[in-house]
This record gives sequence, C-alpha cells and structure tokens, in this order.
Amino acid sequence: MVAKNILNRLCLKLGKENVISEKEDLLVLGYDATPGLHHAPDVVVYPTSTEEVQAAMQIAREEKLPITPRGSGSGLAGGSIPAHGGMVLCLNRMDKILEIDAENLTVTAETGVITLNLANAVAEKGLYYPPDPASQKISTIGGNVMEDAGGLRCLKYGVTGDYVMALKCVLPDGSIITTGGKSVKDVAGYSFKDLLISSEGTLAIITEVTMRLIPPPQAKQTMLAYFDKIETAGKAVSEIIAAKIIPSTMEIMDKTTINCVEDYVKIGLPRETAALLLIEVDGHPAVVAEESDGVQRVLKEVNATEIHIAANDEEALELATARRMALSAMARVSPSTLMEDATVPRSHMAQTFAEIQRLAKKYDLTVGTFGHAGDGNLHPTVLCDERDADQMKRAHAFFDDLYTKVLEWGGTVSGEHGIGMAKKDYLARQIGSGGVEVMKRIKKAFDPEGILNPGKIFADD
Amino acid sequence: MNIEKLGNFTANDAPKYEDILQCMRCGFCLPTCPTFALTGRERSSPRGRVALARAVAEGKLEFNQAMKEEAFFCLDCRACTTACPSGVQAGSLMEICRAQASQQQPLPKWQAGFRDFILKKMLPNPDLLETSMLPAQLYQKLGIQWLVRHSKLLKLGPKWIDKAEGMMPELHQPLRKQLPEFSPAKGEKRGTVAFFLGCVMTLMYAEVSRQTVRVLNHQGFDVITPKTQKCCGAPHLSEGDPETARQLASHNLDLFLDLDVDAIVTDCAGCGAALKEYEEMLSEREDHQRLQIFHSKIKDISEFLIEVGIRTEGLKPVNKIVTYHEPCHLCHAQGISKQPRDIIKSIPGVEFREMKEANWCCGSAATFSLKFTEASQKILDRKLENVKNTKAEVLVTSNPGCHLQLDWGLREADMAQPVLHLSELLGEATPD
Repeated sequence: MVAKNILNRLCLKLGKENVISEKEDLLVLGYDATPGLHHAPDVVVYPTSTEEVQAAMQIAREEKLPITPRGSGSGLAGGSIPAHGGMVLCLNRMDKILEIDAENLTVTAETGVITLNLANAVAEKGLYYPPDPASQKISTIGGNVMEDAGGLRCLKYGVTGDYVMALKCVLPDGSIITTGGKSVKDVAGYSFKDLLISSEGTLAIITEVTMRLIPPPQAKQTMLAYFDKIETAGKAVSEIIAAKIIPSTMEIMDKTTINCVEDYVKIGLPRETAALLLIEVDGHPAVVAEESDGVQRVLKEVNATEIHIAANDEEALELATARRMALSAMARVSPSTLMEDATVPRSHMAQTFAEIQRLAKKYDLTVGTFGHAGDGNLHPTVLCDERDADQMKRAHAFFDDLYTKVLEWGGTVSGEHGIGMAKKDYLARQIGSGGVEVMKRIKKAFDPEGILNPGKIFADD
Repeated sequence: MNIEKLGNFTANDAPKYEDILQCMRCGFCLPTCPTFALTGRERSSPRGRVALARAVAEGKLEFNQAMKEEAFFCLDCRACTTACPSGVQAGSLMEICRAQASQQQPLPKWQAGFRDFILKKMLPNPDLLETSMLPAQLYQKLGIQWLVRHSKLLKLGPKWIDKAEGMMPELHQPLRKQLPEFSPAKGEKRGTVAFFLGCVMTLMYAEVSRQTVRVLNHQGFDVITPKTQKCCGAPHLSEGDPETARQLASHNLDLFLDLDVDAIVTDCAGCGAALKEYEEMLSEREDHQRLQIFHSKIKDISEFLIEVGIRTEGLKPVNKIVTYHEPCHLCHAQGISKQPRDIIKSIPGVEFREMKEANWCCGSAATFSLKFTEASQKILDRKLENVKNTKAEVLVTSNPGCHLQLDWGLREADMAQPVLHLSELLGEATPD
C-alpha cells in the first residue's frame, strides 16, 4: 500500500478508475505464468495514453516507487512481477490499433493490443503478421516485444523482434522518444529499437509499436510423421534443412508428451512412438507442392515409421491437434508444470533430447519434451507438485545440469521466454561477467536511479 | 466431509487445495470471461478469482467481503472451463466459495430469512411453488400487468424490480400437473425416456416443455414424466446452499433410477448441467455405480436426438432465417455445441446463420441479471448486437434463463425477432 497523498496524485492524473490499491487487487497483480513466483505491488495504475504513462512514471520517480510494466501477465520468467513492490503499470487498457499501412506494409498499435487481435486485424486487410507465440490469444504486443516472443513459425519467419520497425517509449527520466520508423533502411546512429527488444521493461516503457507486415502465403501443406527413435526425428529435421527446405513449422513431441496427449484426448496416437514431427510448408502453391514432396522424400529416406498428409484445412487442423494439446495434456496430469526454454543450435537437438532423458532418470522426474524442432528451441517440461520441496529441488538440479550442457553446445538459456526473475543465475553463465557488466552499464545509462523493473535480468541487482 | 480445515476456509463445503493449485496462471481464460471484459480487473477474471481463493486457502487472505463479491459477480458461465488448458473449474470453485460466503459472511437476518424461505421451503416443494405463481397469473389475467407497465410505476423503484416484472413471460397453468405421467410414442417406437421437467420450465415455459414431450413422442419415444420430481438443485448450488441441493439430488436420483428408461431427457440446460453434476455432488453419500448409471442417462434434448438420430421425414418446412445463442450451461458446462446446430439445420426450410460470439454469456446467469442489473445489461447489449448483425428472423436458444433475458432484451431494444426454444422450433416443424 502507498500513502494516501500518492494515491491522490495518481488519481488526479489518471482518473480514479485507473488507479487500484485494494489489497485483493494487489494480491492478484503480483504474478504471471511462472510457477512459484509472487510479489504483490503497492499500487497499480492503468494508463490509457503515452502522456498518462509519463505522468505515472513521474510520480513514481518522485516518490521513489519501483515501476514494473505489465501486459496480460502471461510471461514465463517473471518479467512482469514487481519483485521489489512499488508500482505496477498495467498497459492492457492501451489497446487500440492505430493504423494499418498497406503501402508501407506496417501496423501501428498501442502497446496493450492483444497479439491475436493485431494478427486478425491485419489479416482482414489481406496482410500477414507471422509471429504466433502460444499465448497469442492473451499476450500483448508490447509484452511480445519486451520478451522478444517466438512461436511456431519462427524457423521460416523469425521472431517478434524481426518485425519491429519503430517503438515509442517513455524513458525513466520522463522523456518520450520514438526510435525507428517506417523506412525499410535506417542506420541513423545506434539502433535503439534493437536495444529495447527483449529488454524486459528494464530500459523504457513502450507505449506504441510499429510492426512490419508481409503478404500472406497463398497455400500450405501440413504433414505429421512418427519415428521409432528420437535421433531419427532429429536427423529428419537436419536433413530437411540440408535439402534446402525451410518449413514454416517443424514441431517435435517426445514419447512422454505423446502419451500424456493420448491419455487426455484419445485420438489414437501410437503410444510406442518415440517422437513425432508436425511439419508445415507454405508459400506459392507450386513451391508448396515441390517442398512437400521434398519433405516426404526425406522422411522416407530416414525411415519415419508413418507419414500423414493433410488433404484439406480440416485435416491439417486434426494433425496439429496433438501438438496444440501438448501443454494442456501435461498440465492436467500434475498440479505444477515447470516448463523450460532450452535452445541449442539445430544440429545438437538429438543430443539435447538424449541428455534430457538421461537427466530425467538421474533425478527421478517425469519430463515431457516438446518444442520447435526447426529452431532447436525445446520446452522440457517437468511434471511436478510445487508442495513437494524435494521434488522441486530435483527439478531445479535437473535444469541446472541441462543448461550446463546446452551452453557447452553453444546454446542459450532462453530461446523465447526471457530471463526475468527466473533465470538470472543462468545469464552470467552464458554471457560471462564481462557481458553482464556491459549490460549493466547500458541499463544505468537509461535508468541511473534503477527504478525501472528492478530485480530482473541481473543476479545481484 | 472435509475434516481438515484449509486455510481460512471453514471445514464444511470447502474447496480442494489440489483443484486450486491446478491453475498455472497462463491467462488463457482471460479473453473468455465476460466479467473481466467488463471491468478489466484481474480480480474479476477466472485467474484472479482462483488466485484469491488460493490466498484464502493459504491463509494470506481472510474470506472477506471482496472474496464474497467476486464469488457472486462470477457469472458461473464456465466459458473459462472450456478455455482452460489444465482443467481448472473456476465456476465450480466460485460456487463453493458462495457456500463459504453463506457460512462466513452471513446475510442480514431478514435477507437470510427470505433466502432460506426460497431455497429451503419453496424450491424443494413443487406444490408450494405452483401456488405461489397464482398471484402472478392473476396479475396478468386481471390486467394489472397492463396497467403497471403502461403507468411505468415500477421505474420509480429499484431497477431489479422493474426488470423482474418486465422479464415475466405470459404465464400458463404450470405444466407439471397437466402433463400426463405417460405420453405414448407416435409411429414406430424407438424407446422410452423419462422427462426431467425443470421448475422454470413448468412455471414459466409450460408451452416449451409441452413441445419437448410432443417432439419426443413424434420421434418415437414413450415419455414418462414423474409427478413427484423436484427441483434439480442448481439454484441452491448457485446461491451457496449445497446441502439442500444434495437432498434434492438424492430424491431425484432415487426417483429416476427406479424407472426403466433408456435416457433421462431435459430441455433445460441449467437442469441438465446440475443433473450431470450429481455424480460429484453425491459422491460421498451414494453408491458410485448408481451415480454413474444416472449420469450416463442424463441427456439434453439436442444431445439425445442427435445420439439416436433425428427422424426428419414428415417434418414440415419452417421457412425462416434462424440464429442460435448457446446457453453457457449447455456449451461450456456440458460441452454440447454442435448438436443444437445440427438439429436446427436438419429442419427443412430453415436458413441457419451463425452469430459472432454465439457462446458468449447473455448476462442472465441465474439471479445475476437481477443482482447486477447494469453489468448484466452491458453483457446483454453485446449479445443483442451480435444477434442484430445476423439479420436472423428467429433467435433460438435452449435454456429458460437465457430465454427470459433475451426475450426481455429484444423487446426493450425494439427488435422484432422472437426467441424460441429449440423444442419450439422443432415443434413448429413437427406435424400433429
């Protein structure tokens, strides 16, 4: 709770309906989707314009309240949890799409627009915004930029950051800057927007984004393949890429995940199968036909046990069911799910799977792994119960060991979820103390007083 | 009965901690929640409500006024249950919290007396319930209603009284006493079903349920309607009185299991959802196998007709453009979504038009529409806009709560579409 005079000042600037300080509200605005993390804020504001963000930040600065920005709170690393209390800046009431520019192929929107709403709005104009994080129905575009969210189509289309053209933001000192623009080329000075992407709300508060759009693919083909060895699935992935085909989607699920899904939806998945790949190619119909043939040839060559080709959109949806259900199916099995975000260069994927299996055995854990095989981005998910302290300890040890290997292979501790509070300890292991020091200097340049989202990214913050 | 106390919940009718922990806070429920859409406040969202319950369970929050408010502000529409990847039942959890509220946040004496009178005295007793409707029937028959509505007298009082009066449909004699206990099948007989006649159906929509039985007969089923059946218990669960609900459930369970029928059919989505929950409600009191048999027999009319295959030969064409509003207690609570549409489309002459957000609540939600008249109105307006955009001539639904709310809403908005129950539409197509 904050002092009455602070509340009054905030209410005066933002309106009473946009300031919240009741205990019950604060209690439910201190979490995101990261298991086990919670810290209640002291006050929550819902600005509706850049100027209101500026006003709220000024009051926070004067009153020495830490500021934590929040979209929908669907993050998986605790980025939007107010680790040091203070003010949570909820941006989901800034939810207007401001412009869809068909000539420059851009969309400009307020930061709190829901990702899927943005994708649907541009689709209505015959355009395409490819990044599709699993939480797109609820995640905000600003949150996506702040975490540089990925999704299922990254292999071919890239991640959120690849689509950022311009950002309007408020800096901790209260100044408003716009970085980038609609020009395709722009090398005027430092690329600030790239610095802001995946900065997790530690450098500035984004209030407006301009994203790049592309024409939608005209056709697509969906395929599903089963494998009796996880290595074979890994080999299929490498061979497909080696055949110079870049599928729009190449998703993998392991045996544990397959069985969880089959338990839940009973769609006749072969329980003995070691892995499945869901592959989609898209583009011009002629290219789709050629690439689809190419993929099938590779799948046969590596001896996939079964290959299914969708005859139409409905069947494509059916084939994708298992993958779409993966997390749900596992979440239903256990009270808690610890989902991680280990990412390796593609060529190390099969090894990573083997390591996951070895460590799961070592720590006596049930681990289902699914993820974006084409990107080498895996989501090993430990099925656990957060009330079982010993099990949680083993789960953390499991990830600790796994990340050691992942880093050895030149991978990263986070492919698309961010560092937040959850992975602070791992960051230094990946980029070294020198890397951390530079990052801290950048942070200091933007936010000398350290009021913006403290307690994130850096371990000793 | 739970013996160990969970945090700041009382031991009686407390939630299970596992059920609360099941929420992984992914937020997939947020875009489906009508109350969150209204307020934008996390505490009025399924994720927020579950988090509040968790705080109570972990002793971090008293079971206080805010918890109670959110429990009752929840529409219990179950849209979040459909959306939830990990199977969290936020609606059921809020029903349990309502039961907790009646223990921990007792109402003022006169309100508690009134609530008990309705829940424990009137609803469990069909005779009393029917007698109580007499004044309302007289009120309509003697022209007092005409006078009241035209004088706008009720605009002076609290909003809910005016709305409650406005929602009242044209009342007929309660159906329960008129409907024969046995109505024979027509044409080639396909089986025998029992009919569960809901309280609101018999009192306010007698004509609808008459059509349901007629349709079932025409489809080749003998229909048994036991006269001693009682309220399904749904109002009690929704108002936080699970004990009376369990007593009613036991009565109905015994009564219907004694009948030799292929299915127990209802045309009230709310009743259907409650009857399907008997298995859980009575799990500590009744034999598990009996509960399973009962559960397997409960069918919504649309679910039943699609399962046995609807006989369309001889149906008369109904040349109308029809749209369909999904009752929450049908699509979200029972997962029945395709069947009603399939039935509508199977009627010759009908042009079916899907509305946007067909499975978004209409704002009726048991007594929500009277307790939160303003919020209910906003939810209703959203629905009416979607109805309007279809340019449909008829709005079909299949639950009396939605029926009352939509009928009233369309009238207030000067929209010409009549609201029909699925059985009425099918009844129109069914020859004598």
